[in-house]
Amino acid sequence: MHRATSVQRERAYVRGVTTPSQADLDPGRDYPLATRRPELLKTPTGKGIDELTMEAVLAGEVAPEDLRIAPETLRLQAGIAERAGRPQLAQNFRRAAELTALPDELVLSIYNALRPRASTRQQLTAIADELERDYEATLCAQLVREAADVYERRHILAS
Amino acid sequence: MTTSARRSKRTEALEQRPVNLDGFVEEWPEVGMVAMESPYDPEPGVRVEDGVIVELDGRPRAEFDFLDQFIADHALDIEATERAMAIPAVDIAHLLVDPRATRQDVLAVSRGLTPAKLLEVVKTMNVVEMMMALQKMRARRTPANQAHATSARDNPVQVAADAAEASLRGFRELETTLGVVRYAPLVAIALQVGSQAGTPGVLTQCALEEATELELGMRGITAYAETISVYGTEPVFCDGDDTPWSKAFLASAYASRGIKMRFTSGTGSEVQMGNAEGRSMLYLEIRCILVTKGAGVQGLQNGSISCIGVPGAVPGGIRAVLAENLIASMVDLECASGNDQSFSHSDLRRAARLLPQLLPGTDFVCSGYSSTPNYDNMFAGSNVDAEDFDDWNTIQRDLQVDGGLRHVPEAELLAVRNRAARALQGVFAHLGLPPITDKEVEEVTYAHGSKDLPLRDVLEDLKAAQSVMDRGVTGLDIVKGLEASGFGDMAHNLLAILRHRVSGDLLHTSAILTPELETLSAVNDSNDYAGPGSGYRPSGARWEEMKRLRHVVSAQNPEREVG
Repeated sequence: MHRATSVQRERAYVRGVTTPSQADLDPGRDYPLATRRPELLKTPTGKGIDELTMEAVLAGEVAPEDLRIAPETLRLQAGIAERAGRPQLAQNFRRAAELTALPDELVLSIYNALRPRASTRQQLTAIADELERDYEATLCAQLVREAADVYERRHILAS
Repeated sequence: MTTSARRSKRTEALEQRPVNLDGFVEEWPEVGMVAMESPYDPEPGVRVEDGVIVELDGRPRAEFDFLDQFIADHALDIEATERAMAIPAVDIAHLLVDPRATRQDVLAVSRGLTPAKLLEVVKTMNVVEMMMALQKMRARRTPANQAHATSARDNPVQVAADAAEASLRGFRELETTLGVVRYAPLVAIALQVGSQAGTPGVLTQCALEEATELELGMRGITAYAETISVYGTEPVFCDGDDTPWSKAFLASAYASRGIKMRFTSGTGSEVQMGNAEGRSMLYLEIRCILVTKGAGVQGLQNGSISCIGVPGAVPGGIRAVLAENLIASMVDLECASGNDQSFSHSDLRRAARLLPQLLPGTDFVCSGYSSTPNYDNMFAGSNVDAEDFDDWNTIQRDLQVDGGLRHVPEAELLAVRNRAARALQGVFAHLGLPPITDKEVEEVTYAHGSKDLPLRDVLEDLKAAQSVMDRGVTGLDIVKGLEASGFGDMAHNLLAILRHRVSGDLLHTSAILTPELETLSAVNDSNDYAGPGSGYRPSGARWEEMKRLRHVVSAQNPEREVG
């Protein structure tokens, strides 16, 4: 998947679907979403969760990309986590929403770059810039910049 | 005249007892060889300036190591911390034990507690008080259990059959790992296929190096991940080739693909890896727990796990292991609570070690009950294994405590083992993988372990395993293979599990799937324990099921077994 395409796809998805604001979701009433609010659940490719049937699989109409979570769904789940009193879990879901747009290989390479002594400060800064510029992944970029600062102070940047 | 010292017959008898094969060692706090009572652990304390924690447990911000900084900036609630830290430790322990204080009452305080303070709280508690607290603090109301399904020969047919049996016996999660790592794709497929033959809704994982584990997860060959290790000191964390930031990123990577995951840690890992910085095992483990919390991960596998020999060897070590499970639960994390790697040669000691998790109930009482005989367990054995199934079921029945398992009549077990093997035979054929013979299917149906099975062509299997990765085989291909081989119900169940990725419901704290394939988590099944008469108690159909054992006789006719 090309990067530009996936970002465009995400934007199109966010524009094209109207969902209630996160505040409208009540953990007690709406969770689990798969049974209580299936109409809110779309794949990143724009299919409804109810379209992911065995018939569709056998007809070759379901690809592995259709079994992924959409960024908007992760943001809905973040709202539920927040209301259930779990702000860190919610923040993780929001970072994850940003990462839905990245291809698998890029996700793996950023993870490897964050390992101790794997990257210079410049390399980490470049990753943060790319996350922000190409994917609007501001929360993930913030995490990478924070890592660069700590790694420098604790001497675990690549020399 | 010299004679060898005469020995007491009783001493001789005791010398023969299995417990004396276990290793025990004196405390040595300077190197961290101490469970939870060390003079070198820091004093609790926190100082906040302009919304930033500037001092944590006696260490100023400029001297924070990376764990201190991650915990201060991500785990602790800045608004709550000074107020929570002002409460005496013993009062917080009372809050934990008193059933009239709710789980939410505890969480309002625990969200602001530093590692040293959490340690001080549990140091005031004995194991019975800790069990009382764990009963209330477990995140999911309904307890569950997890099994290992591995093979000393990495035989996929065996893993499929044992996965089927384990799912029918009641386990809600299954974990595998390998002797030869390159076998992973085939064994992970076998686990995924086999688990669908028993009770629906079982989630599977394959423990591997972090990046490979993520790749299998992304492909839908596994359903969740657990082997994401975190450590309690900076040097050991770096030796594990990670940092709290790399691990937090990895956590978001899993969630971005809709995949459930938890971290793993445990007392004793730092001293075992040679860098405990003179802290107690439990103090370092609490830092791991708070790193997990700060990363926004829903849960943690802890309870020493693969280092259980270390806390197991020192005084109060098993108390410390219970304390780490309690602390994970009291900071609102899912806890898969150990009772995992082999711990003792003594059956009495094995049982005593598992009661503190089994009696109060945890999210997963074992984070690896071995569904195989010990020799087949590739996680270096487990505290309980396939030969303990009847004992486990009897203990559940004796104490009316739900450890997640049930007795299943032999005919039903043979049926699902056979069906799992046949389904894997079909899926392998569909994917062009090395054939599984009818002889293998027949033998695995009746087998206890890998020694009972025909040998496979390992070279062909390993080539095929590589081809699974090269060809980009996914969980969807397994669904199609099951359907094409005439196992439509298993295909349906697996598709349902994969479809749950789209909803993200399984990403919430302590989530499992019910046999009806619905999500049960701390959101819709939150623990409501409030003292006698409340909370989860096995009753109704579940209790009737728990009453059944291999040999139970009729009350009217003691000659007749009712099963």
